[in-house]
Amino acid sequence: MLRVESVTKSFSGFMAVKNANLDVQQGEIVAVIGPNGAGKTTLFNLITGILKPDNGRVFFKDEDITGLPPYEVCKKRISRSFQIVNVFPRLTVFENVQVSVLSQKKKTWNLFTPSNRLVVEETVEILNNVGLIDKKDRTSALLSHGDRKLLEIAIALGGNPEFLILDEPTAGMSPEETSRCIDLIKQLSDKLGLTILFCEHDMELVFAIAQRIMVMVRGTTIIQDTCNEVRCCKEVQDAYLGGSEVCSV
Amino acid sequence: MAGRAGQKKYINLYIAIAILLLFPLFLPRFYIYLISIILLYGLLATSLNIVLGYGGIFQFHHAVFYGVGAYGIALVLTKTGFPPWIGFIIGPLISAALSLIMGLICIRLSKLYFGMLQISLGSLVWAIVYRWYSFTGGDDGIHGIPIPELLQSPNGAYYFTLIITVISMWLMYKIIKSPFGSVLQGIRDNPVRSEMIGVNVKKHQLLGLVIAGFFAGVAGMVFVVVDNTVFPDMMFWTFSLEVLIMCLLGGWFSFLGPMLGAAVVVALRTFVSTFTVYWALVLGIIMILVIFFLPNGILGYVEEIIKRRSQTGSTIKG
Amino acid sequence: MDFIYSIISPQVLSQILVGLSRTVILFIVSSGMSLILGVLRIPNVAHGSLYMIGAYMAFSVSHFFGGSDIGFWLALIGAPLGVALVSLVAERGLFQYLYEREHLMLLLLTFAVSLVFGDLVKIVWGAAYKSVPVPQVFQGFVLLFGNLPFPRYNTFLLVIGPLVAIVLWLIVNKTKIGKISRAAAVDREMVGAVGINVSWVFGIVFVIGCLLAGLGGALVSPTVSVTLGMDHTLIIETFLIVTIGGLGNIWGALLGALIFGLTQSLGILIWPQFGIIFPYAAVVVVLLFRPTGLLKSTW
Ligand SMILES: Nc1ncnc2c1ncn2[C@@H]1O[C@H](COP(=O)(O)OP(=O)(O)OP(=O)(O)O)[C@@H](O)[C@H]1O
Ligand SMILES: [Mg+2]
Repeated sequence: MLRVESVTKSFSGFMAVKNANLDVQQGEIVAVIGPNGAGKTTLFNLITGILKPDNGRVFFKDEDITGLPPYEVCKKRISRSFQIVNVFPRLTVFENVQVSVLSQKKKTWNLFTPSNRLVVEETVEILNNVGLIDKKDRTSALLSHGDRKLLEIAIALGGNPEFLILDEPTAGMSPEETSRCIDLIKQLSDKLGLTILFCEHDMELVFAIAQRIMVMVRGTTIIQDTCNEVRCCKEVQDAYLGGSEVCSV
Repeated sequence: MAGRAGQKKYINLYIAIAILLLFPLFLPRFYIYLISIILLYGLLATSLNIVLGYGGIFQFHHAVFYGVGAYGIALVLTKTGFPPWIGFIIGPLISAALSLIMGLICIRLSKLYFGMLQISLGSLVWAIVYRWYSFTGGDDGIHGIPIPELLQSPNGAYYFTLIITVISMWLMYKIIKSPFGSVLQGIRDNPVRSEMIGVNVKKHQLLGLVIAGFFAGVAGMVFVVVDNTVFPDMMFWTFSLEVLIMCLLGGWFSFLGPMLGAAVVVALRTFVSTFTVYWALVLGIIMILVIFFLPNGILGYVEEIIKRRSQTGSTIKG
Repeated sequence: MDFIYSIISPQVLSQILVGLSRTVILFIVSSGMSLILGVLRIPNVAHGSLYMIGAYMAFSVSHFFGGSDIGFWLALIGAPLGVALVSLVAERGLFQYLYEREHLMLLLLTFAVSLVFGDLVKIVWGAAYKSVPVPQVFQGFVLLFGNLPFPRYNTFLLVIGPLVAIVLWLIVNKTKIGKISRAAAVDREMVGAVGINVSWVFGIVFVIGCLLAGLGGALVSPTVSVTLGMDHTLIIETFLIVTIGGLGNIWGALLGALIFGLTQSLGILIWPQFGIIFPYAAVVVVLLFRPTGLLKSTW
């Protein structure tokens, strides 16, 4: 479904992403792992059009989407959440998601229908799914960190995606919130049939939900394979797991 | 519950409009003129606030669109033989067109740079108007503009101002509450995220600018009806800052904030200057106090208190 | 000298020189604003008022000494220092509490302060025009290139300009406060983390910037009538100069001032009626091609 071919990006000489390759099939959950500064977020920015790659191509459903602006990428039904909370702080939780749904339904040029009567059902459904419905009238700047991370995902879902990219969805969440978030991600994949690409530092979580894993080190993808293969791979253990992980096959 | 609260809000509004309609019956001429000025400045400030408070765009030179709208109607009425109503339409349309052109040039810059480029383009327009004696009357402006008879009496001008202001405010309110308005606020809060949910940020901002420019032009047109003059200072950059102050004083996150701010500024200038020439000093000090203690403006502060009250009230009940 | 005139007519040459003396004033005032913009990130509208106050103070000092030459020289020193004092009060009393606010708020705050300053000037000096006599030594004309008459005082300005530029260069590059403020412009937190009192660094930079506004006002005072409202056109020109130069870049301010001064003086020659639109048009052209200014901005 998504194919990234030898994508490269440098920031004034520093290679943040170097020859990255990635292949995600329809309906899969794929994790990208790698140490801090490996280039995971940059890779996601390259896929979603926030950054333009220096080299390489990105294909979605065999269509070349390299270098399209984010709003065009979004129209292909690719959505993403951000690592650093990136919501609309002055809007309420409900409005945050509603704006996203309105945009997906191409209603943003409508000047005279009151928006409080539009796309209410869709918005409520999404808020129900992520469990933020009780807090729908709160200003999003005043939410707890965990709730804002959930709102991140909710906004992404507002775009009615087929392909969902999550950048460290559980970072900074309490253990309880994390387990709820894991359930949510599984649910999205099972019930809505979303294809999901995410990155995460929490290995337990990664092994719990990912079907395949891609490992990134210093901007380069070193391996992309199933969980167990990755866990056993010597290179990965050296580079990332500190060599301490025991192969459990 | 919410429905009844909504109705109550509208009742206040209807009462306010009714009172405004009755003013000419008992208020002296001078006050009628003053209220007209407040209404049209409020309209101007509200139009700025569409892009400033709701759009997060640094529109530093809004007065240009106001001035151009006013000159548009003034020139049609004085220099052409067209029927007057054409002037009333052309004024705001010229403003919207100028807003589109300037927007296209400025939109790729962000924040302060946007504001600066707009100031230089606006100053360019001002300089042309200021010096083109044969066409715009230069620094003298144009006086005694022949407006239609119906609007010549103070009351006629007042009712015209009131009707146009109410209609414009209503339209702008609709726009703010529409999906487009929601998206505009989303862009203000977080342009990157807005792009990522599929919004073409620049295009939406551009439409916001055109709408703001159009209503500024409407305000300019109303000024011509009330005052029968135009002069280049209407689009000098200090006036733009004054309009910004109106938004700040009233509160740029409240829809009626700029209108309130306009009332405060006009009232200050009129009444403070009757007992001291230093009204700017008073305004400056009030602004400093507002910036320090009421960063959301006067109306923003009032709304906050009401909200807090109702929240504590409901928790007690709950 | 006929050689020069064969390339360029005396009229154009003299307009260029007039433009250059205007450039000196614009540069001195804008470099101060650029310094403040670069380090403190305040778009200081009150900068124009300080320029005006500088001019009024120069008038007072000069007047006190009966318009004598010594009065002029003392005014040249006293007025900038007086302005520095005023700005120190404003910075410590007001601005230092608001550095974290958004630019729009800062812009409006400084506008409020400029309204207050404007009326204070009216209270102290009254609303009448004031004029500062040109000192004896600089009265009359010099003949440049053999036979081109040029006001002596403007020649003095042309000498002062480069001097100020050199002193500024020394302050920014060779002194401790200059180095710290350059670092603070790039990364405030870092500077704070090394144990430097950032608040005072900002205070000092602000005062230096304002002192330059005062100096500009004092220097311009013998060439214009000192009057209320002289800040209005200047402040807008200054804003545009620092924008086309690159926000926070002092040498950009020099470049911007050159563009502004020269287009202004030559514009009048080319098309007298619309002379004033040339500098604004130049700004638009520059920003169209280099949206963030000619030189590197510190933002
Ligand atoms: N806009 C940018 N300009 C310059 N350097 C950048 C930029 N964005 C990222 N980098 C650099 O690129 C490298 C990769 O960053 P990236 O954020 O992609 O890492 P990451 O894998 O997401 O790390 P983390 O796990 O901490 O989120 C880092 O060294 C970072 O400093
Ligand atoms: Mg990251």
